[in-house]
Amino acid sequence: MNKDLLNQEAFFLDELPQRLENYQSARSQLIPILQMVQKAIAYLPAKALGIVADYLEVSAAEVYGVATFYNQFRFNPPGKYPFKICLGTACHVKGGEIILENVERKLNIKDGETTVDREFSIERVACVGCCALAPVAMIGETIHGNMAPSKVEGLFTRIQIEKEMAEREKQKNES
Amino acid sequence: MSPDNTQARQQYDALCQAAEAKRAAFEQAPVPKIHIGMATCGIASGALDTRAAFEETLKERGIAAEIHSVGCHGHCYAEPVVIIDHPASGFPPVFYHEVTPGKARMLTKLFLEEGDPRFEHVFGATVENEMIPTVMEFSRFNQEKRIVMEKCGQIDPESIDEYIAAGGYAALVQTLGLAPDQIVATIKSSGLRGRGGAGFPTGAKWEMAAAVEADAKIVICNADEGDPGAYMDRTILESNPHQVLEGLAICAYAVGAGRAIVYVRSEYPLAVRTLRTALAQAREHGLLGAGVLGSPFDFEIDIFEGSGAFVCGEETGLVQSLEGQRGMPVHRPPYPVEQGLFGQPTVINNVKTLASIPPIVEKGADWFRSIGTENSPGTAIFSVVGDVVHAGLVEIPMGVTLRTLIFDICGGIPNQKAFKAVQIGGPSGGCLPEALLDTPIDFDSLTTAGAMMGSGGIVVMDADSCVVDVARYFLDFTQKESCGKCTFCRIGTRHLLDILERVTTGEGREADVGQLERLSADIKAGSLCGLGKTAANPVLTSLQYFPEDYQAHIEEKRCPGMMCRSLMTYYIDLDTCARGCDACVGVCPTEAIFTTSTRKKGVDQQLCVKCGECMVACPPEYDAVRKVSPPGLAPTIERPDTPRKPEKP
Amino acid sequence: MNAMKVTITVDEKPFEVDAHLNLLQACLDNGIYIPNLCYLEHRSPPQASCRLCFVEVGGVDQPVAACTVNVADQMVVRTDTPAVRRLQKSGLRLLLSVHHVDCKNCPANKKCALQDLARFLKVGLKPKHLEQHLKEPEIVDTHPFLTYYPNRCVLCGKCLQVCRSANGRAMLAFAQRGFDTVISFYGGAGSAATACDTCAACIDICPVAALLPK
Repeated sequence: MNKDLLNQEAFFLDELPQRLENYQSARSQLIPILQMVQKAIAYLPAKALGIVADYLEVSAAEVYGVATFYNQFRFNPPGKYPFKICLGTACHVKGGEIILENVERKLNIKDGETTVDREFSIERVACVGCCALAPVAMIGETIHGNMAPSKVEGLFTRIQIEKEMAEREKQKNES
Repeated sequence: MSPDNTQARQQYDALCQAAEAKRAAFEQAPVPKIHIGMATCGIASGALDTRAAFEETLKERGIAAEIHSVGCHGHCYAEPVVIIDHPASGFPPVFYHEVTPGKARMLTKLFLEEGDPRFEHVFGATVENEMIPTVMEFSRFNQEKRIVMEKCGQIDPESIDEYIAAGGYAALVQTLGLAPDQIVATIKSSGLRGRGGAGFPTGAKWEMAAAVEADAKIVICNADEGDPGAYMDRTILESNPHQVLEGLAICAYAVGAGRAIVYVRSEYPLAVRTLRTALAQAREHGLLGAGVLGSPFDFEIDIFEGSGAFVCGEETGLVQSLEGQRGMPVHRPPYPVEQGLFGQPTVINNVKTLASIPPIVEKGADWFRSIGTENSPGTAIFSVVGDVVHAGLVEIPMGVTLRTLIFDICGGIPNQKAFKAVQIGGPSGGCLPEALLDTPIDFDSLTTAGAMMGSGGIVVMDADSCVVDVARYFLDFTQKESCGKCTFCRIGTRHLLDILERVTTGEGREADVGQLERLSADIKAGSLCGLGKTAANPVLTSLQYFPEDYQAHIEEKRCPGMMCRSLMTYYIDLDTCARGCDACVGVCPTEAIFTTSTRKKGVDQQLCVKCGECMVACPPEYDAVRKVSPPGLAPTIERPDTPRKPEKP
Repeated sequence: MNAMKVTITVDEKPFEVDAHLNLLQACLDNGIYIPNLCYLEHRSPPQASCRLCFVEVGGVDQPVAACTVNVADQMVVRTDTPAVRRLQKSGLRLLLSVHHVDCKNCPANKKCALQDLARFLKVGLKPKHLEQHLKEPEIVDTHPFLTYYPNRCVLCGKCLQVCRSANGRAMLAFAQRGFDTVISFYGGAGSAATACDTCAACIDICPVAALLPK
């Protein structure tokens, strides 16, 4: 597990009460605040929900209730390479589900889960809006169109190659 | 008496002059221009790489040219789309499709440097000329009528000057010289109906809001596009945000509001970014803020990022979420126009509705009424996807038939397959058969047929599709997106989904059809909000128009479209399978394909996940992979005890 | 102050009622029972979420939820038409399909809103045609003073409303969404929960004993 990442989270949570000063203490700010937290550390830890509830003077249960209502918010950290499989209408018709199954099989986790090493996570998303390219998968913000079950393996190979390249680059810089 | 807008006009004229000078400088520069479509769909298809390839090659070869990023043309099937305007070559501006980085490098060298437009790659010219046929000869172009999307793909969405130089914000200036009730009257007589789905008359909505006495009113642009197969709102915001902002300003002026909110899905990061840029530029140009263009009209716009809940497209759900609550709809009345956000009168209009406003103000209600039909004037925008040749966004006059839309404008069904059904209106819409293809597209005709204009998502299905599975897909979506407040939608949709899952996995029972019908009717009559009331439409229409498909699933355990994976299987025809060929083995994700004792291939039905990759991989000259339903029809091919090693190449 | 009165006709009997009332309240005040679960008397606006208080109002072709309609002079109302009963029965069956029917061992036995409704509408407690769906876990006991039974809960939301009135802020909230919606007392172990020791508003209001003291 990445230690830097955990430190970063802890640091952010320490700082959160100050950051909240930029927002009005009004219920209507709840969703923008939750979005800000998630943007910074990629998920909503329990501690953050408590801090936000105190700031807005509502119960933690209400904050949790709102956060669990919306698809955007997540309560476990995503992987470094978040796979998002589009299951919009066009992707469904063209077999998006089979792509999802392939990624699940490959990573041995289910949709909504993150691998133990926090490297990969899988999420099903509703239409990312490029239906003409269906079926579509995203890794982070990068869209891979016209997917096929046999192309799933290629996505992982590509990540592996990129990792190795980055590693070599790092070694070169260090030496 | 009409207010005096002389000062606004003067300020606007100055903005126009500056914008036009900029445009003239760009247009008259003696270098070629490369226009690249850079909205989400373009980028997804590789437009960033294409642009980088142009930039690099231009630099390498020392060619001077302007690269111009524009929005989306709507021709998703052709992305990345590039228009090259190279006057010195003697050719008119040329439209190229599917411009890969390789093609970009080739065109830079051969067209920009050597003056050869490479006819084999040309899609068409964009203006009349004597050398190259124009794109207007294609029905995908000439049968469209663009009002809302007129400037999409023409201008750089990040430049307010380009919008102004193309006549943008003139309608706002005109508005500032009219009394608010004159604007309301114009919109009323234009007959514009809300483009969000239900088709409520926009003018009537504005009139109600204008009539309410209140200290503060608010207008909201609903860009929470939640239909999983529609993306026109995103495209408009990414390609021409100012037309929407101008519509918002006119709406606010007409109803007496000083503040507006654009409620946009946070899943649309590019649209959010484009909007923020547009707002900053509008503010800089005096088109937003205290005293718009020096007039007494104060106007502010904020952006709110929706957090992903389909039900927030419903106006009361949207208001709840703006107030920091769970987006659960509340009973209407009171309608938001009387009592909406924070209790203020609130007008909520869809992106397309607002983008229709500036042209109506500028050209008049009669002009707008001359387009479309009597009861549904104007145009409709559809995202046509699925089994169709020219998928993408299409803006057509209301009243065009589904047949024209699918077969003429969008090029029909690919691979010579037969048409099966068209699902129109997304999760709230319906599934229509061939017999209803001559239905004109307008609010009322679609509702009569059991479908709905909805958000404008159209999914075309060929003969290899399953309408029962599509109904199951939409119910799965609605069920997941139900807010959970009212009994019928929360629990009823779950039971509908249960039954449809049974039917599509071969567990269907005789009583299921009756049960689906009864439950659907109750959900429709009993639900609290629009989402619940329309949730059963995909089930009701598919039951009505395709009863034989349900019968096949339930009685014969057979899926006519061979889509339902529990009801079909793949096998390899040993008569045509080529000895020693391994094409299918490599693509199988589960190693389900084995070699028979005759060195041909067989499918291990236990391991097979029915992804169909082997069918794609099998070389056309053998074409040995077959699909059958029900699965019992597949011949049994035994796996030999000691599997032979695959041949070495 | 003399409130404005209007005359309405319910099931062919005329009544004189306050003009500001909603139809459900007006009927209840006059001893006419209309099935309902989520309605808290004299609190506005009504949630209109249980979808049981349907009636037919003259001039409207579909049954409407009585709590969402204001009374009006000369309004003609029917509470027992086939369309009304069909919707009410259907709604109750849906609620029962996600309810763990175990009356013998339930503290609400004999004073349970669902039992009353089933008797009134002549609906069996175990619906025949619908699959039973129960939630996991059966019991939630993360709160220091309260226990929650998701498979008894009908999500009427009354507990949230009374908690908000009693404590200024609701310690309970709806969480998750759609079919998975539950009542949550997330963060309930915190200091704010001490009030729950003495306040039992949510327990008292619950119509099905889904919230119980520890």
